[in-house]
Amino acid sequence: MAYLPCGVYHEKYSQDQAFWQTNFIRGKMVLLAVFSLLVIPIFLTDYLSEFILLIYWAMGALGVQLLIGFCGQLTLGHAAFLAVGAYSSFLLMTLPWPMFMHQIGAVYPLVLIISAIIAGLWCVLFGLPSARVKGFYLILTTMAAQFITVDFFIAKYVSQIGGRQQDLTLSSDLVKIGPWTIDSKVDIYLFGVILLVISMAVVANLVRSKTGRAWIAIRDNDIAGEAMGINIIGYKLYAFFVSGFIGGLTGAFWGASRNIISVEDFLFGKSLWLVGIILIGGVGSLHGVVFGSLFMVFLIWALQEIVGMIGGTGNIIYFKEIAFGLAICGFLLFEPNGLAYRWWQSKNYFNLWPFSY
Amino acid sequence: MVEQNEHDKKSGDILLELEDIYMYFGKVCALNGISMKVRKGEIHSVIGPNGAGKTVMMNIINGIYRPQKGSIYYKGERINKLKPHKRARLGLSRTFQKIELFGGMTVLDNIRLGRHLHLKSGIISGSIYIGKTQREEIEARRFIEEEIIDLLEIESIRKKTVHMLPYGLQKRVELGRALALEPELIILDEPLAGLNLEEVEDMARFILDINEEKRWKVTCILVEHDMGVVMDLSDRVFVLNFGNMIMDGAPKDVQANPDVVKAYLGEEDLYSTRR
Repeated sequence: MAYLPCGVYHEKYSQDQAFWQTNFIRGKMVLLAVFSLLVIPIFLTDYLSEFILLIYWAMGALGVQLLIGFCGQLTLGHAAFLAVGAYSSFLLMTLPWPMFMHQIGAVYPLVLIISAIIAGLWCVLFGLPSARVKGFYLILTTMAAQFITVDFFIAKYVSQIGGRQQDLTLSSDLVKIGPWTIDSKVDIYLFGVILLVISMAVVANLVRSKTGRAWIAIRDNDIAGEAMGINIIGYKLYAFFVSGFIGGLTGAFWGASRNIISVEDFLFGKSLWLVGIILIGGVGSLHGVVFGSLFMVFLIWALQEIVGMIGGTGNIIYFKEIAFGLAICGFLLFEPNGLAYRWWQSKNYFNLWPFSY
Repeated sequence: MVEQNEHDKKSGDILLELEDIYMYFGKVCALNGISMKVRKGEIHSVIGPNGAGKTVMMNIINGIYRPQKGSIYYKGERINKLKPHKRARLGLSRTFQKIELFGGMTVLDNIRLGRHLHLKSGIISGSIYIGKTQREEIEARRFIEEEIIDLLEIESIRKKTVHMLPYGLQKRVELGRALALEPELIILDEPLAGLNLEEVEDMARFILDINEEKRWKVTCILVEHDMGVVMDLSDRVFVLNFGNMIMDGAPKDVQANPDVVKAYLGEEDLYSTRR
């Protein structure tokens, strides 16, 4: 429900369906772009690692949000698709690509897309049971995806490729898009921003077109959806594909930002954290993905600072889990719609402020 | 007699035919050899006491249930094996007895969803949005605003979330969603249940509109308990009692049939419940 300021009238349907309907909102978007593309990389360089982490979590949670929040398919195994994206991007980079492709910087973008497609197809494979099962049973099959992919395939076979014991590494001068070599932190940050904006835009566009509406229909009422002509199974698998695709991009981005990946990055815990992010941010909301990741990254950062100040050193890792678990409990009890709903409420409040209605 | 002629003029070819349908749930026989013919352009009502199997019949036509025996023909084609979404493609749409809207979506999005089959943009053009999808969405919006929202008089609620709306309006939105499919046959499963008198009159008017207006000309199958409305609107009435067909005929004949009256617990003054 969008309130328009007094005196603003739409005359065309395209105006009414636009994302940013008033100049005020467009101005805010420009400010956001200036902040994220200029202010952060130039002035906030001390916090770049946190922002990179934020992008990583937001992109990972976006895939989960698409499945749980929009399509209603509960998943607890999304880290598996991150792992598939990361590992396939690393392995594909080691293929003997022709030299000129390395020189013009075409290898990495190609690898990025191919590994995202592989992750998407892998996700579809584990989405196939969704044709038959729903809810808790689907959670089990996605958990199977987690354990089969990461703990079995990748730990036992894929990570042994090339005689390396556990970790795969990637030389950072290979990560090159056109003339742009992504090796410094600022580059990685900007690369992440671009990836996040593109995948956000893709999901937002899908949600306001035919495909996304079909997903939401499946979430809300699949019988009525089918009566309206939606091929339920087909659209569920589409959702798994897009979600896995974004997961693959996320994993590849994670790999590129670290230059080293290991099985430990993609354990079951990570899947749970991704679900936790959307619970805190708000299920079924694109804003919620960013809010949830902001909450998580900066909560943990603040906790680290506090614990450092107190002088506790050893057990910070458990503090992290405890704080996050408590936060999820608190949100489920007091704000089940998440931070995105709070945001929406306060925006509406200030729309009419200082009048009550 | 005049009414009879009018009826003959209106009804054309057979659009939907149920032939000897048997449906069992375990050992419970829900439908026992039902046959029914729905002609193009008519309002064909299905009445019967609670538990008679009316909704089961609608679910069979729609494809949610598959009968154990018997055939369903739509435009002469046997559609027993088709899934509901394939039947929607043929032009078969429905509303539900208990409202089955998409609660989290706005009214506009619900009706847009009914437009699903008329939109062609796939997942790639949808993710880019600008260009093909945008044109298509605007075209769909124009259709919804000018044809459906205008017809059903729901302009004021188009951006409200559906689960916040009162029951009567939800029923209306559901009809709008079914119409957005531009169906040839629409199944209206108790569209008047739980509405107040004014809303009943509105809804009856909409049903007549979509049946008679040149723009729509939708054939309706109407399941309803409100005898006053049923007898006024229908061209033919099909009476069902515990899985058995009692009769299928013009409203006047149905009213005269003693079996029908008995099926309704012998309520003599049944048809005067409303007026």
